[in-house]
Amino acid sequence: MANQTTETVRLMIDGISISVPKGTLVIEAARQAGVMIPHFCYHPKLKPDANCRMCLVEIERVRKLQTSCSTVATEGMAVRTATTVVNDAHKSVLEFILANHPLDCPVCDQGGRCDLQDFSHQYTATSRFAETKRIFQKEYFSPLIETQMNRCVQCLRCVRYCDEVMDVKALAPIGRGTMTEIKSFGNHPLDCEFCGGCVQICPVGAITSRLSMYEYRPWMLKRADTICTFCGDGCQITVQTKDQELIEVNSAHSGGRNNGDLCARGYFGFHAASHPDRVTHPLIRRNGTLVEATWEEALLFVAEQTNRIKQAHGPQAFGGLISGRCTNEELYLFQKFMRLTIGTNNLDSSARYGHVNGVQAMRRVQGTHRWTVTFEDIVQADVLLLVGTNITEANPITGLKVKEAVKKQEATLLTIEALQPAVGTISNITNLSKQHLCVAPSQFGAAVLGLLKAVIEGDHVDPGIRQRASDYVSALSHAVRQIAWEDLAVSTGISSDSFAQMAASVVRGRRVVVLAGQILLRSQGGYGMCLNLLDLLLLSGKLTSPGCGFAPLAEENNDQGAVEMGAVAELLPGALDLTDQDSRDRMARAWKEELPLVPGGTLIEMVDRASAGIIKSLFVVGENPVGSLPSQIRAKEALSKLDLLVCQELFLTETAALAHVVLPAASAMEKAGTFTNTEGHAQAVRPAIDPVGDSRPDWEILSAFSVFLGAPLEYGEAKEILKEIRSVIPGYGSLGPSPIAPTADPSAIDRYVTEGYRHDVAIRYTLPPRAVRQEGTVQLGLVQSLFHSGKFSTHSKGLLQIEPSAFLQMNPVDAARFALGSGDRVRLSNNRGQFITTVKVLERVPEGLAWLPDHFAQEALRLFDCVIDPDTKVPSFRTATVSVLKAT
Amino acid sequence: MTFKAWIRTITFYELVVGMKATMSHLLHYKPITMQYPHEKRALPDNYRGMLSLLRYDDGTEKCVGCDLCEAACPSRVIRVVSAEVPGEPTKRYSKEYYMDMTRCLFCGLCVDACPVDALGMTREYEWSVYDKRQLHLNKEQLLAIGDRSFPVREKQLELQHPNVAFFNVAFKHLPQKPD
Amino acid sequence: MLKDKYQQEIDELLSRYPVKRSALIPLLYLAQRDEGFVSEGAMKEIAGLLHLTPPQVYETATFYTMINLKPVGKFHLQVCKSLMCALAGSDTVIGWVKTKLGIGPGETTTDGLFTLSAVECLAACGTAPMMQVNDDYYERLTEDTFDRILADLKKDGSCSLKTGPFMWPEPAPAKPGA
Repeated sequence: MANQTTETVRLMIDGISISVPKGTLVIEAARQAGVMIPHFCYHPKLKPDANCRMCLVEIERVRKLQTSCSTVATEGMAVRTATTVVNDAHKSVLEFILANHPLDCPVCDQGGRCDLQDFSHQYTATSRFAETKRIFQKEYFSPLIETQMNRCVQCLRCVRYCDEVMDVKALAPIGRGTMTEIKSFGNHPLDCEFCGGCVQICPVGAITSRLSMYEYRPWMLKRADTICTFCGDGCQITVQTKDQELIEVNSAHSGGRNNGDLCARGYFGFHAASHPDRVTHPLIRRNGTLVEATWEEALLFVAEQTNRIKQAHGPQAFGGLISGRCTNEELYLFQKFMRLTIGTNNLDSSARYGHVNGVQAMRRVQGTHRWTVTFEDIVQADVLLLVGTNITEANPITGLKVKEAVKKQEATLLTIEALQPAVGTISNITNLSKQHLCVAPSQFGAAVLGLLKAVIEGDHVDPGIRQRASDYVSALSHAVRQIAWEDLAVSTGISSDSFAQMAASVVRGRRVVVLAGQILLRSQGGYGMCLNLLDLLLLSGKLTSPGCGFAPLAEENNDQGAVEMGAVAELLPGALDLTDQDSRDRMARAWKEELPLVPGGTLIEMVDRASAGIIKSLFVVGENPVGSLPSQIRAKEALSKLDLLVCQELFLTETAALAHVVLPAASAMEKAGTFTNTEGHAQAVRPAIDPVGDSRPDWEILSAFSVFLGAPLEYGEAKEILKEIRSVIPGYGSLGPSPIAPTADPSAIDRYVTEGYRHDVAIRYTLPPRAVRQEGTVQLGLVQSLFHSGKFSTHSKGLLQIEPSAFLQMNPVDAARFALGSGDRVRLSNNRGQFITTVKVLERVPEGLAWLPDHFAQEALRLFDCVIDPDTKVPSFRTATVSVLKAT
Repeated sequence: MTFKAWIRTITFYELVVGMKATMSHLLHYKPITMQYPHEKRALPDNYRGMLSLLRYDDGTEKCVGCDLCEAACPSRVIRVVSAEVPGEPTKRYSKEYYMDMTRCLFCGLCVDACPVDALGMTREYEWSVYDKRQLHLNKEQLLAIGDRSFPVREKQLELQHPNVAFFNVAFKHLPQKPD
Repeated sequence: MLKDKYQQEIDELLSRYPVKRSALIPLLYLAQRDEGFVSEGAMKEIAGLLHLTPPQVYETATFYTMINLKPVGKFHLQVCKSLMCALAGSDTVIGWVKTKLGIGPGETTTDGLFTLSAVECLAACGTAPMMQVNDDYYERLTEDTFDRILADLKKDGSCSLKTGPFMWPEPAPAKPGA
C-alpha cells in the first residue's frame, strides 16, 4: 500500500468538507467525516448491493435520492443526509421493514445491539400496516447457528459474506419477494464451515448463535480482547463473559490480523477452557494413584525430588517439554528455568513437530527466523504458490487472505495440494486456483523438484543470481538434470508442460509469496522441501524483492514464539544459535550466569534418553508426547521409567496420567501475556475470566519452582517477563497493529549460495521414494480438521456438535472400490495394527488417499511410520499405507 | 424589649400557649394509634407493595426471561437467568429468577419495563423477617405471591397481536406457512 | 441420474454459454422435463455439473414459478395473478378452479390430473384473464371457455382453444420409446 499513490477527491457532507481517496463510497466518506448514515445491507467487507434502501441521501444536482452505499464520491459532490426529505425517506423505508419484522425484541438475542432497534429509536418509526406479519415455518434446526427468518430484513449480508469472503456459498436467498428466506438447501440443516460470519454480520437477530442462545444480554457482558489459541494465524477475538462464565466470542471488524473474520474453532470453540474435566487442584501420585494436594505440598515434593535427582545424576538427567500454546513469557521463562535453574539444554516445544523445519530453512537461506512478508503482502501478491497447506482447514484465516487476494485483487493462485477441486460443504482453495497440481503428500517433494527443474530448464533463472553465484546455479542445474521428466511424471502424475506453465507463472509474478503448510512441513523431508522452495525463490530472483517471500504456516498459536523464545534445544532467545559463542556470551551477560554447554536433546532424543535411563526427570508443560507420538517411539514406556514426571496441564492427558505431579495450569482465557503468530507478530493475550479452581498461569508455577529450588526467577506479573524479553531481544513484541517484516539478510544469502547449499544438495535433489500401492490399500494421511485443533478443542462442546468423533475421508471412487458408503464402519490395518472408524465420502479427497483427522485418532497413530529428519530432528508420522476393509 | 414583650415574659405566656394544646387533648381524649396487628389501615389504590410474578390462566408463567426488569432496576434487586424452554425450541423463559427484596425501593420500574406484564405489585407489606436472607426470593416464591394476590389471571393468547406475529411462541406452535 | 440419460444434451447446453453457471436454468428445465418436477437429487447433480453449491441451484429454482419443486399433476394450471389479470378477474378464475376441481393454489386433484398454481405475470396482459396449462396459453378466459378447456383436457389431453406456446423451451421432443 505504501508505494501506491492515491488520487483524492474532495466533497462536502452535511457542510463538512472532506477529502477521500478516489473510488471511496459516499457512505464510507461520510463515516470518515463523522456522519453516520443508517444502513443494513452495506458492509465495508462486501461489495455494495444497495438492496435495503436505508442509506438514501440527497446529492446536490441529482434529482432523486441516491443510495450512498453504491454511489462513488466524486469531486465537488455535495451530500446532505439530514434534510427532511432524507429523513422521511429513511422513515418510510423503516416502516416497510417493520411491516414484517416481528417486534419480539425482548426475546431476541440481538436486542440491545440491533441496528434495526437503534434506527427505530432514532426515527421513532411506527408502522401503519395492520395486516398479519409474514411467518416462516421452522423446518429444521442447524447445529450452532440458529436462523429465525421472521426477523430477517433481507439485506443478504450473510449470503454475500458466505460467498465473497468465505467462498463457502452455503446460504442462499430462497423464494422471492417478501417471502424470501435465507436457507441452505431444502429443509436440510446448515452444513458449512460454521465460521460464524453470518451470525456476526447479521444486522438484526435473524441469525444468532445457538451456543449462547438466550443466556445473556449485550449490556451484561464484559469484554476482553485476546488472541485465539487454535492455530498459528493469531486472530484477535473478543471474549465476552458474564460473571465468570464464557458466553460468546466475536471479533471486531478491522480488529487484529484477521480483520474480524473467524473460523469455526475461533467462533464456537471457546468452551474448551471451561470444560468440567479441567484439572483444578494439584495432584501428587501417592501409592500409585494421583490424589489431590495443596500447592505447597506439590511444589515441595517437586523441589525435593529435583534436588535429589540433580545431586545423584547431574543436570543432564533432566528434560523439558513445553507446548506451543503457551505464551511467549512462559516459553521464555521455561527455557530460562531449564537452562539456568536446572542447567540443561534438554528442552523442546511442540514447534518440533513441523514448524522448526520452516524456521531452520529460513534461517539457513535468508538469515531470518520469520516470514519476510506479512498478511498484507499475501493480499497484495500477484502470484501465490500454495504447497501442501490444506489452508482452509489448517490455517483458515490465512486462507481468507489468499481468497481475498484471488477474488478481490485478482492474484494468480497456483496450488500444489493433495486436494481435488470439488465443491463441497466447506470451501476448497483449489477451486480458486489458476493452476492446480494434485499431488499425494508423499510426493510434494517431487512436485517442488519438478517446478525447480522447469524454472532452470525453461531458462527462467534470474540473471543476477546466475552472475553472483554461478557455482550455485550450475550445481542446482546439474542436480535437476539428474531427474528425468518421466520419473517425475510417474511420481506425481504431472506432465512437464504443467510444470513449465506453473514455473512461467511464478517467474512472471512481481510479488510472489510461497506458502508452505503443515502437510509439507510435517511430512518426511519437510526441511529439504522448504529449502528447495527457497531455492526456487532465489533462482527466480524473488527472494529479496519487496512483497515476495517464503511463508511456512505455523500449526499452533505460538509455535513461532516458541522458536523465537528459544524454547527448543538448539536455539536461544531471539532464535540465536546455541553453538555460537557470541550469542552465548550475550545471553550469559543478560542473565548474569553461564549457560550450560552440553548440546540439548530434542523431543525424540529426550524420549530415547528417558527410555535408556539417562534422563530421569521430565518437566512437561501442556505437551502430550504420549498422546501425540506414534507408539513405536515408545513414549509411554519411556515416560513410565522416569523418577519424576511433572506435568502442568489443563486436562488429565495420557502424559499427565503417568505423571508424579500434575499441576493445574490456567488456560489462555485466564492469563495475560503475548502470542506470536505465524507471520511473527506478537499480540497481547488478556484474561477474560479468573483461573479455574486452584489453577495458576504456567509462568507462575515455573517461577515458584525456581524459588523452591533456591535459584529464584521472580516476576510480579507477565509484563515483567516481557520487559526482560525486550532487553534480550530488542524491540520484541511492539504490539502494533501490524508486524514489520524483516528483510532477507544479504550476507546470509551470500553464505548460502557460496557454501551453505553444498553439503546436502545431492540429498535434497533426489526424488522421494515412490510408494508402490497394492490393491486393497490406500495411503492414509493424518490431517487437520477445520473443526478441531489438536486435542484441546475436543473439549469444546460447540465443536463437538459439528464433529464429535474420528472419521475417514475418502474419494467416491475409492469408496466404491471398497464398497463403502458414508457412515459405514471401516477397518484400517497394516503390519503395525488396526483401527476401526467411520467413513465419510468426500469428493475433494484425491483418489488413492484417505484422510484421518488427528484429533481423535490416538489409537490410529500406531499405524504410522515415524521418520526423523536428520538435520532438524523433526519427527514425521503423517502417512501410512493401510489396507481397507469394511467392518461389520 | 417592648412593654408587651416584657409582660409576656413575666407571665410565661408561651408556656400557657403550649399547655393549651395539651390541656385541650387531656379533656377530650381520643386515641389515634392503631392497634396494628388487630386493625389495619385501608391502603390507597395505587399502593406499591411486595413484587410478584404472574401466570396466564392456563398456569404458564408469563415471564419470558428478557432481562429488561433487571436492566430497569435502579438498585439491582433482580437477577434473571434465562434459557430456552426445554422441549419447546426457540421459546425463551427465565430458568431462575431472584429478587433481593432487602434492596428494593418499590419504585415499580420493573413492572413498567416488563413487556409481557409478568410482574405485578401486590398489596402485601407484612414482610418483616428475623433473617434477612429470607427476603432473597426465588421464582417459586414470587410466583406463589402472585398466585395468592392475583386470583384473576390474564388469558393466554397464542399470537398476542396480529402485528406482533409470534412473541415468544415456540416454533412448534406457529401456524402453518401460507403458501 | 440426468448425466447418464441426457449426456449429449447436457454437453450441448454447456457449450452454449461462456460462463458455466448460465446453463443453470436450461438444466433445471431439463430436469423438470425428465421427472415433471425438480427433485433435490437433480438439483445436487446440476450443482455438481456446474461447479455450484446446492444452495445456489436451490436459490434459482425457488425464484421461478415455472420450476416445480413438488410433483405436479398431468395438467399444470398456472393462473396469472399479477395486476392486469387481477383487475380482469384472476381471483374469479382461481374460484372456478376451486369449485370445479376442488383444489386451491399449490394443490393437486386426487386423480393426479390437475395442479393449480398462482403465478406472476405471463406477459399476456392484453388478453387477461389468462392461464397457462403446461406450455400452452389460454387467454380471455370466461366460465364457458374454462369449462370447455377442462373437459377437453380431461378427454383428449389438449384443447383447441390454446394460443401458443410462446415460452421457451420449444416443446419437448418425443421421448424415445414413449
